[in-house]
Amino acid sequence: MRQRIPGIMTACRLMITIFLVLLVILACPGLSAATGTDEIVCIQCHGTLPGKYAEPVKLWQGSIHQENGIACNSCHGGDPKDAANAMSPARGFLGAPKEKDIPAFCGRCHVGVLKDYLSSHHGKALGRGGPTCVTCHGNHKVFKATLDLINEKSCSRCHSFAQAEKIKAAMSETEKMIMTIETRTAGFKQQGIDTDRLEKGLFAVRNSFHSLFHTVDTDKVVAESARIRAELKKLDDLLNGIDEQLRKRRLFGAAAVAAALLAALLLHLFRKTFDRD
Amino acid sequence: MGLIKRLTDWIDCRIGVRGIVAKELTGYLLPANINAWYSMGSILLFIFGMQVATGILLLIYYVPEADKAFKSVTFIMNDVPFGWLIRMCHAVGSNMMVLILLFHMLSVLFMGSYKRPRELNWLSGFILFNLIMGISLTGYLLPWSQLSFWATTVATNSVSSIPVVGQFLVEFLRGAKLVGPPTLGRFFALHVTVLPLAIAGLIGAHLFFLKRTGVSTPPFGAKEGDSKWQGDAYRYEDHPGGIPFFPNYALQDAISIALYLAFFLSVVFFDPYLFFTRESFVAANPFLTPAHIKPEWYFLANYQTLKIFPNEFIGLSVQGAAMTFLALLPFIDRGDERHPLKRPLFMAAAIGGILLWIGLSIWGHYS
Amino acid sequence: MVNEERRKFLGICLGGITASAAVVVGYPVYRYLAPLQKEHAAGKVVIPEQEVPAGGARFFEYAGSTAVLVRKQGGDLVALSAVCTHLGCIVQWEKEKQDFLCPCHAGRFSSEGVVISGPPPKPLAKLPFVVANGVITVG
Repeated sequence: MRQRIPGIMTACRLMITIFLVLLVILACPGLSAATGTDEIVCIQCHGTLPGKYAEPVKLWQGSIHQENGIACNSCHGGDPKDAANAMSPARGFLGAPKEKDIPAFCGRCHVGVLKDYLSSHHGKALGRGGPTCVTCHGNHKVFKATLDLINEKSCSRCHSFAQAEKIKAAMSETEKMIMTIETRTAGFKQQGIDTDRLEKGLFAVRNSFHSLFHTVDTDKVVAESARIRAELKKLDDLLNGIDEQLRKRRLFGAAAVAAALLAALLLHLFRKTFDRD
Repeated sequence: MGLIKRLTDWIDCRIGVRGIVAKELTGYLLPANINAWYSMGSILLFIFGMQVATGILLLIYYVPEADKAFKSVTFIMNDVPFGWLIRMCHAVGSNMMVLILLFHMLSVLFMGSYKRPRELNWLSGFILFNLIMGISLTGYLLPWSQLSFWATTVATNSVSSIPVVGQFLVEFLRGAKLVGPPTLGRFFALHVTVLPLAIAGLIGAHLFFLKRTGVSTPPFGAKEGDSKWQGDAYRYEDHPGGIPFFPNYALQDAISIALYLAFFLSVVFFDPYLFFTRESFVAANPFLTPAHIKPEWYFLANYQTLKIFPNEFIGLSVQGAAMTFLALLPFIDRGDERHPLKRPLFMAAAIGGILLWIGLSIWGHYS
Repeated sequence: MVNEERRKFLGICLGGITASAAVVVGYPVYRYLAPLQKEHAAGKVVIPEQEVPAGGARFFEYAGSTAVLVRKQGGDLVALSAVCTHLGCIVQWEKEKQDFLCPCHAGRFSSEGVVISGPPPKPLAKLPFVVANGVITVG
């Protein structure tokens, strides 16, 4: 016994070392890594400032812009890497736009929408009490646009809801189709199906549909909806094709599982024939 | 019939196959009271073979390059005929391998088969267990999805809590300061060459030990016990009057494999998404940390242990101690009794340990 | 004797299952390994040359998506996919600037499809075409 102990001790030590290293490789701690847009100086500083200075950061978090990596500097300019000169006009800092400049400010990226907006009644009333982008969409807390943005509470701030309601009604069926296709596409994406083409197709249709709304012209909405629905139908057909394929796979799978179970049963009976020998 | 017999005769005359069959298959006797748990090893061997086969097939289209890896996996899943099936079999198979390995280890624990003279069997099996975890971890990174990327970031990061050399070790593991293209290169090499070869080699050793020591007798039912090892000299534990490996027990192996296949295929076809989250199908983005990144289910207990302790190094050490204890179990638990009901201390510890592991895993899942 | 017969019967059944399993496994593996067939079903699109004026663009359906022909000021023709590489909107031809603008997020491409500004990650895909007897054939 005594002679064995040193050997075991060495083995112990060796094992401890090996398994510590192995475990260390395998084990996983909590995650606190913050990366990407969160690291820019705008957020580091504004996030900790008191009161209204921190507000934009809070509002922006969870917005569609944050989700897509559009940070402060994407709109407001400036230098997100240099705290001292972050807000220097020499580095392209723009600050907050005046009310009449808002459409142009957002329209640097959303060019199609800007065009439709400017030619609409809303756009023509710009500077004379008419709504800007943020009146309906909010400023920092911008969400993916849905039909819910057209509601009595929001519209009746300026005018009666009747006209808006007509437009909303004309859009609602198409919007529902868009939502359904979106949900189904997202579901397929979670199954490893390549939905890139579907997503881009849907995005394009949704965009032309939503920008159409900015013209605030019921007749045009109704007329264009037919074309858009035809586009949506194509996407819907693609989705149905995928569904059909998945159904076939499951059918095949059920047959394979049944065959394996049958094989197990036959093997069991087969083995029993040897038991009696 | 005549042709087969003549062919067998022809071969037998030259290399004596009938002798080998008589000695190693029909004449290889196993304990009469052997049970189905003894076929776990065969299932595992089958799974390993399947992982190798599907792995080789995946290699045909997979591109181990950060910019192309995710795309190539998407291509396999969507454009190559039956690519989805092969990829799903490989991914689900890896989880199944860990699961069945746990069953294998549990049956060995409860039937006391790890006890002397089978320490080497236990040790080689335990190292195999760790290698399987390693091959799962390295394989996890290869699809280069958000899940792969961040799970690997988190997993490799825990090494940094080792005092003094931690930071160096992390960088060495990753091949860079952060997980990135160099990490993919080394994990790929480990996953497709080093680890499979090491596993195959150790499986060989594991089977060699089994063959040399002889199959252990289950502690239930009939006692045999006259060819027991005494510790003085090498002695093969034979089972005169037992059941032949071929065809009897080989058929039990086949039954177990068929049942396993039924289970495996139902997961592959009906819910392979048990093992995938939405991040598994989004390409890795080093600038966007997804919320709620969790490791694979079999690492959840480790993950939770690290979170419980205020200091990660303590968490790591506790796990290291637990794993070392398990590895050295046959040297610590030295009694001869193998019936689980006659080992109350062992039973209490084992059940407590399993419940603790399950509890930690559930906690880790919901935390 | 009954046992012998039963064994034989079960053996044949199991042999059948094994053989069909081999086929069921073999077929997907064969298909997986067989050379991939490229889809050529796209077909060609024919457009009369005069429909593409100098400095102008002509949009058309091609292979299930939208494409565009542009005649640059110099007279050279270019055929491109009109699908923006950013999020899939259809780009618009800006005649005054002689470039493409995507209305969704202000991606800008040159008349050759090269990204000038904005978020698109890749240039517009070029499409092959031939001009003969006053007719442009894309595809």
